[in-house]
Amino acid sequence: MNFMRIRIDHIAKIEGHASFTADIVRGDIKAAKIKIEEGARLFEGIMRDRKDIEVPELGSRICGVCPVVHTFAGFKALEDAYRIKVEEPALSLRKLMMMGQLINSHSLHLFFFSLSDFFGFKNDLELINAYPEKTHDALKIRDVGNKLVETIGGRTIHPLTPCLGGIRQAPDSEKLKKLLDDCKNILPLAIKLSELFINLKYPDFIRKTHYVSLTSYSEYAIYEGKLKVNGMELEPKEFLLRIKEFQAEDKVVKRTHFEDRSYMVGALARLNNNRDRLNLEAGKLLEKSRLKFPCYNPFYNILSQAIEVVHCFEESIKILDKLLNQNIKASEANVKNKTGEGIGAIEAPRGTLFYDIKIKNGITESVNIITPTAQNLANLEDDLEEIEKLGGFKDLSREQKEDKIKMLIRAYDPCVTCSVH
Amino acid sequence: MSIFDLGERFLEFLTKVDIGDFRLVEELPDVDKYDIAIVEGTPITKENKKRLKEVRQKSKILVAIGACACMGGVQEIKDYRGDKKQLIRQIYPNIRGIDNPNIKAVKEIVKVDLEIPGCPINKEEFFKLINQVLEGKIPEIPQNPVCVECPRRNKNCLILLGKPCLGPISLAGCGAPCPAANFLCDGCRGPRKGSNLEAMKNALKIKARLSEEEIENLLERFGKLNELYANKN
Repeated sequence: MNFMRIRIDHIAKIEGHASFTADIVRGDIKAAKIKIEEGARLFEGIMRDRKDIEVPELGSRICGVCPVVHTFAGFKALEDAYRIKVEEPALSLRKLMMMGQLINSHSLHLFFFSLSDFFGFKNDLELINAYPEKTHDALKIRDVGNKLVETIGGRTIHPLTPCLGGIRQAPDSEKLKKLLDDCKNILPLAIKLSELFINLKYPDFIRKTHYVSLTSYSEYAIYEGKLKVNGMELEPKEFLLRIKEFQAEDKVVKRTHFEDRSYMVGALARLNNNRDRLNLEAGKLLEKSRLKFPCYNPFYNILSQAIEVVHCFEESIKILDKLLNQNIKASEANVKNKTGEGIGAIEAPRGTLFYDIKIKNGITESVNIITPTAQNLANLEDDLEEIEKLGGFKDLSREQKEDKIKMLIRAYDPCVTCSVH
Repeated sequence: MSIFDLGERFLEFLTKVDIGDFRLVEELPDVDKYDIAIVEGTPITKENKKRLKEVRQKSKILVAIGACACMGGVQEIKDYRGDKKQLIRQIYPNIRGIDNPNIKAVKEIVKVDLEIPGCPINKEEFFKLINQVLEGKIPEIPQNPVCVECPRRNKNCLILLGKPCLGPISLAGCGAPCPAANFLCDGCRGPRKGSNLEAMKNALKIKARLSEEEIENLLERFGKLNELYANKN
């Protein structure tokens, strides 16, 4: 067959609503496009002319899967604009919430969105029935993530305690002790889940690209750091100056390029850039996986998330151990001059999220939000353009081809809801 | 996400129902009829509205969940500003093909049998109510103010401390996590029936010393047009 049109409406098991179209002409994919089917909500517009503090509070509503990162990206941008430094223990409490956010988002994607693709299940109920014990493990893992966010943030979705300069209310230390026990008890399950993902067979597909993430000398960067890209380390401000946001007609999401090329953010980008700073067990698992770096196979974003879940459990144990040895107090900054420009950059589960803001006398003048999925879209489309290079692709049936395309899209863990904001 | 957060209880719930269309967990073709349809989010695109009407037609009972579906949600703020056409131009260089309608709650487009409000919804409340729906009842949420569930009521009341809070006019059922975390109730569940808006505004003005503009901004957080001013019954 010389010509085949592929059209996948409403791709399942991603957060939000998107479709895919492409033509295959003599075995070559042409015009691979992800169409975002969400309505524009104009978040950057509605934040304008309102109080500064509404940037994180409204921003959280962009997404129910990763509200913690939107909250913190907003606060970090404000704190950057006002030159406020968040001190301990508030900083550790925020980092702990981020661990919870990564655990709950990754475990959802790994088990409920991605795993079925490896077994050919079209409905998670088949997966749940085939692997009841693993399902319960996945839920227990996810539950610890939720508890980390809830105990410190006041609730699981749209956290309440973060405030300018810190955390508005100190968590109960008894509850933190319980959390530490939970993390220790569930860590072996996280390792087991990660091993399951190590033993899966990933499609054979390689395309060189840039990998972008935060990086830090002291830790595996999630909450803060500089941007690592192509061997360079850039301040967030410098990075934003060097990327270009562009919007094709009819497209509700602006795609981005770094130096005229697409790039990938997310768990695989973080492992490519920072894997030597993983915690012990996560590092061991990475070794066991025999993954070679730099890894240019986007399907391994799935395995990277599984390894990060273990890292996040270990990191939570470290942070909690440290916190429980000190007096945990709430802290809030008293800001006099509420005028300035600032950038908040943070590693969301799906990659680096930016809030770039301008505030005058406590009122927001402008906000630009650049989400991980918006950044990944150009890279994903470039991957899809070359998907015929995936091992054995040309011999697959139409349905099998579509399944591989969906699997690649889901490997990116796109959050369409976030990308349209 | 709140539904996923039910964890084990969500799995148990799945054994009691046949899933028709839930794209987060399956990719099977849609079914012809639903006993119960649960709708979240605000219909913005033409496609959204078409699908909503189609789902209504196929369903015996339609339940709207969350602030977006029940009230319009935070995105409705663009409609109060009066400049949504400029806003969309400031955000997108090319606006052709991007729908920018006035935001409507689900009940403004189709008949809704039950609303479970909140941003986020309270998963405990959802679980309780949806199980009642499964038993064939259409439950009603008691019209209490958030204050009845608030751990700060009486001596630590935010308003009495001179801070803003919409607890007195907002519908209870959330368990008051916001004031419990020293955060104001910002009315994400919408007003309870019979609430006294004028008294609330006075308290915000006199006790919390908010300006008229600050009061309006606070009241419009989750969609005031449909609810707050229309809801005098």
